Amino acid sequence: MRTHVAEPWVEAPLQKFVDDANALFALLLHPSGQVMGQFGFTRAVDVMAACALAAAIHASAGELGRELEGKPFRELYHAGRDRQIFIGDVRTTQHRFVFLTVFDAESSLGLVRIYFAELCAELQHAQPPLLDRVPISGATLEQDLNRNLAALFSRAPRGGDGGESSISLA
Amino acid sequence: MSASQFEGVLSLLIRQRGVLGCLVVGEADGIVVDSNVQVGVQSNVVAALAAALYRKARLCSAAAGLSTVGFLQLEAERGYICAIGRDGLVLVTLAEPRAHIGRIRGAMLESLGALA
Repeated sequence: MRTHVAEPWVEAPLQKFVDDANALFALLLHPSGQVMGQFGFTRAVDVMAACALAAAIHASAGELGRELEGKPFRELYHAGRDRQIFIGDVRTTQHRFVFLTVFDAESSLGLVRIYFAELCAELQHAQPPLLDRVPISGATLEQDLNRNLAALFSRAPRGGDGGESSISLA
Repeated sequence: MSASQFEGVLSLLIRQRGVLGCLVVGEADGIVVDSNVQVGVQSNVVAALAAALYRKARLCSAAAGLSTVGFLQLEAERGYICAIGRDGLVLVTLAEPRAHIGRIRGAMLESLGALA
């Protein structure tokens, strides 16, 4: 099973993480909730939900960390009965992402943390030059969210002009 | 600061000739519980990978009907990794090629009780 990405440069680091860490699910997203790449999900709606939740958890944890220690928490871990979840902050010189992964007893927190550090380093090396950014508005955010979801699940996004989308966020 | 309950075990092992480091690691999560390693040893990386290795060896041994793993020894070009486990903890020792592996093995087996 391969990773699916919205931008090609994240594919190799993400695939390497999945292979090395033996992860069940992996998700790389912007802090705004815009997906960059995923592994293990089969439905766009699941990716959309996971991105929204991960972005919210990351933002909440960041603020909680600032309140408690004066700096945001960069990693979060929760152990369930069968599966475990890890959410980490990926910072490169030009980008900032949130990374979420789910793994089971075939892997471990220690392994995930090692390969997460490698993922951060490889994303740093693989990142393309930063282009001029267009200011984000509500309309462009929704278009970007839908464009990346469509790219991941090999669908042509509709509503490129801001009209009806293939996946409505409303 | 109070000493950990594994300090005695780790001190015993690190004094052996050629030992580069020794760690007590959680088998399930691969996180270091306590360690005594020389400068330059990436204890977090070694701990996670050694715990995963030990766990796989334990499962393999059980699947093959060989019961529990007594002592795991990995011989590499530039040294040894030894592991022994009990009750969800793994004691890992890294050693140079010149190390007396028999003594290390004996010390690790003697230390097994401390892991309980």
